Amino acid sequence: MIPDVVAAIVIGLLAIAVVLAVVRIVRGPTPGDTAVAGDLIFFAFIGIVAVFGLAFSIDAVIDIVLIAAILGFLSILSLARLLQGGQR
Amino acid sequence: MTAELAVTIVGSALLILGAFVIASAAIGLIRLPDLYTRTSAIGTAAGLGVSLIIVGVVVLDFSALNLLKGVIAIVAQLLTSAIGSFALARSGYLTGSRPVATTAPDELADSAASPRDRQIDDGRALGDDSATS
Repeated sequence: MIPDVVAAIVIGLLAIAVVLAVVRIVRGPTPGDTAVAGDLIFFAFIGIVAVFGLAFSIDAVIDIVLIAAILGFLSILSLARLLQGGQR
Repeated sequence: MTAELAVTIVGSALLILGAFVIASAAIGLIRLPDLYTRTSAIGTAAGLGVSLIIVGVVVLDFSALNLLKGVIAIVAQLLTSAIGSFALARSGYLTGSRPVATTAPDELADSAASPRDRQIDDGRALGDDSATS
């Protein structure tokens, strides 16, 4: 569906993003930084899933991306709530 | 044949551009000094990057149904990434993550939500500001 070199470039860039976000998770320093790095890992994951789906001609790729885009913010809202200890 | 080639080139360029935007957001995550600038980088750049990747997927795998799903996904992504970064920055301020010392007009500093009272010591990003507390 897409050329292999394009898939390699896109997944490589997103993998760099994930590695940098993991570095931020390890270094901290506050829980908020960890949460925002996790948010970036989730976005990079959406991109990787989309490119894998295109590369292997999986028809459900746009459905997966759609569900992830709609429901993905719930995780970061939960993390924000968790940081405050359940208080608003 | 040539139309197919053009579609492949445009779609591939959109995918690479989206991945590049997300990677630049990750570089900002490393280099920016405090939680609020990092949240700003992730909220804007990741929303744009995921939207570009969705446009690329729709261009490469085009049908009317995929176009509809792609439009819904982009709208949801652009709305919810802003909401997520806002909520995260707010909870960060409430739980005591301090902005860098160069954040000059900190209008929340005197309110009850101020992190100066109950702060989690992060030591490194504070600089000379920690001497005054």
